[in-house]
Amino acid sequence: MNHFPEAWGRPRDDVYGAYNPLYLQTTGPKAHTQSPAVTGTSVVAVKFNGGVAIAADNLASYGSLARFTDVKRLRKFGESAIVGFSGDVSDMQYIDRLLESIDIRENYSTNGNTLNAKNLHTYLSKVLYKRRSEFNPLWNHILVAGFDEDKKPFLSSADLLGTTFSAPHLATGFGAHLAIPILRRLFPEETPLESISKDEAVAALRECIKVLWYRDARSLDKYSLAVVTEAGIEIQEDQQVEAQSWAFAEAIKGYGAQVN
Amino acid sequence: MFRNNYDNDAVTFSPQGRIFQVEYAQEAVKQGSVVVGLVNKTHAVLVGLKRNAEELSSYQKKIIEVDSHMGIAIAGLASDARVLSNFMKQQSLSSRMTYGRPLPVDRIVSQIGDRAQTNTQQYGKRPYGVGLLVAGVDESGPHLFEFQPSGMTQEMLACAIGARSQMARTYLERNLDKLESSSRDELITHGLRALKETLSQDKELTVDNTSVGVVGVAGEAGRGKIESFKLYEGQLLVPLLEALEAAEAGETKEEETMEVDS
Amino acid sequence: MTSIGTGYDLSNSVFSPDGRNFQVEYAVKAVENGGTAIGIRCKDGVVLAVEKIITSKLLKPGSNKRIATVDRHVGIVSAGLVPDGRHFVSRARDEASSWRGVYKGPIPISALSNRLGSYVQAYTLYSSVRPFGVTAIVGGWDSEAELAVDGQVGSGPKSGSGGKVEGAKTGGPGLYMIEPSGLYWGYYGAATGKGRQAAKAELEKLDLSSGTLSLVDGVKEAARIIYVAHEDSKDKEFELEMTWISSLDGPTKGRHEEVPKDLLEEAERAAKRALEGEDEEEDATKGNSNETERMEE
Repeated sequence: MNHFPEAWGRPRDDVYGAYNPLYLQTTGPKAHTQSPAVTGTSVVAVKFNGGVAIAADNLASYGSLARFTDVKRLRKFGESAIVGFSGDVSDMQYIDRLLESIDIRENYSTNGNTLNAKNLHTYLSKVLYKRRSEFNPLWNHILVAGFDEDKKPFLSSADLLGTTFSAPHLATGFGAHLAIPILRRLFPEETPLESISKDEAVAALRECIKVLWYRDARSLDKYSLAVVTEAGIEIQEDQQVEAQSWAFAEAIKGYGAQVN
Repeated sequence: MFRNNYDNDAVTFSPQGRIFQVEYAQEAVKQGSVVVGLVNKTHAVLVGLKRNAEELSSYQKKIIEVDSHMGIAIAGLASDARVLSNFMKQQSLSSRMTYGRPLPVDRIVSQIGDRAQTNTQQYGKRPYGVGLLVAGVDESGPHLFEFQPSGMTQEMLACAIGARSQMARTYLERNLDKLESSSRDELITHGLRALKETLSQDKELTVDNTSVGVVGVAGEAGRGKIESFKLYEGQLLVPLLEALEAAEAGETKEEETMEVDS
Repeated sequence: MTSIGTGYDLSNSVFSPDGRNFQVEYAVKAVENGGTAIGIRCKDGVVLAVEKIITSKLLKPGSNKRIATVDRHVGIVSAGLVPDGRHFVSRARDEASSWRGVYKGPIPISALSNRLGSYVQAYTLYSSVRPFGVTAIVGGWDSEAELAVDGQVGSGPKSGSGGKVEGAKTGGPGLYMIEPSGLYWGYYGAATGKGRQAAKAELEKLDLSSGTLSLVDGVKEAARIIYVAHEDSKDKEFELEMTWISSLDGPTKGRHEEVPKDLLEEAERAAKRALEGEDEEEDATKGNSNETERMEE
């Protein structure tokens, strides 16, 4: 038996075979930033006449485990901007602290020059792009909701690569596949913003969150919903998906235990 | 001769708590040719008197555009002003790059103030030998700031610094209540009149020795639309100087008619 | 100051034979010429106030703030060289922000004052720098509520280890004053600048150590004290600037904010009345009371 110190505490070669040191890789590229750990799923948002509505569920998953069920993924910034986070939760917490320090700095003087949602989105997309260029991305896809400098409703997204995208309604994660078709049906292209009411927007988001809860395995039926208008931010963080019906589940075939 | 022992550097207080090196730097500002700044509800205006070293040389620049929403007028060491204006340009650009937002005027002013203060508290540095008037617009409207070598910055309604600037300040104080409600063009004329007050008998404002900078909000304030900083020099000044002449002629006429009335 | 001119006062960080650091004493002189600044620690908050002498008619009224926000819950007012005050505030902001970086929470007022005291003291140690020409008053409110779980990302355990203790309260008002030497004390009521003697005399009358003065009354007292302290330089006009920090359930919700305009004006009116009242009392002793004028007010 090998009594040299480097073998102490190691599985015995004669029982388990030679130890594969590749696992303890000390050279080569950094790998631990290349995947998220604890994650939040979709964020959905819709612009309406006079503001923006945004929703996300309260779940943080650890792989397939529903690890935390009271996580607030909609973060307020100032009096008229909301940032919705999907992706890595610890990176979200890091960005949240960045936002907090900016907010404190912005309030050193009271002269009314505040960062609006558009400024915030520009800033966050630069942060995300800088980090991806360092091969150390912040593993998030975010939506920023609020107003631009002309006081018009503003909604835009930025992802972990620093890609930005803007549209009257947006969704991240699974929502991009499951919620966007619903929103497109409800608010077809070229629908003027003026014709969408706040209630319609909120109802649409609730519908999207419900469908996501039905079909996205990493989602939760508890969710947060925020509405940004000129009057300020209303945020509700203890919403529940109502009137659930799983009757449709029986008809689903093709995966899971029942293959045919 | 009395020798002041407390004025050799910027890191020594006098027994009265004064810092002579800083006070001497303020004197350098008074050596520079005069600049005037003033604001109304919508605009901020800078006016400056340019000097040339000799008949055949060019005139020293007095007004510098920092960004489309902001400009400065300088009195004192022009090279120190260039250091500061380059810094301001960088900061302003970086704000536009990072946030997509023009840098609020008070913030850039405190930044240069803080820089100047550092030069008054460390050995081996000297205070800046320049005074600035910073004019700009942001979400809260037009602003005018005065910057001094001590690092002191103050927001003003109107201000004048440089050689013989006291005459201009007297004019501004006397007309302070007219400034706020004046129009853009009237404000420029007020600026030029204040500048004219400082001239010695044999001098006049000409298209060669005058410089005017204007920046303002366009239409409704706080909607992000601005009238970008514009520098008036050379032939562009002709209508402004004509307006100045007209205003002065109007005033003398008024005085005459008043005399007739009485 | 007998040793002036003996050469021991020409450089910072040098002791004179009798153990004094003259440059620090001269820095104090700069403070003593500045506009009066005060702070009052009330039972449910802190008030900061400063007398701003109007040096020119051309200054924009109501701007040029002299009380700075350092973090959400902290404000600083100083007397002395204004640019030095800005340097001091900038350091305070860095300290507050670095504390948040390390501890994910707001810096306690005591800790902030301690760090600032050390910073100012360092400027008395070297001949390559000069001391700060300011005395600064640091006021703030240490949150009485528990900290949110990492900026309210989750709600945390409801009970048990790491959980909540029902009704537990800590924190409260904090008020400290830091001098050019780096020396600092905690205060019930602090005053510095030109009118500090008069202001201190008034503060002492308030019985602040009993902890009964309410924040709103504190605002009114602060305004009155600044007006009293201004009496000696009556020929100069001044502007009163006031900020406050209340408890979490008070008017500012634990934040450092400007005193609202209507309350500030009310306090100023009351201050002026109180001063005129004093004058009238003096007149009355001369047998010259003026009843009608008093009623009109």
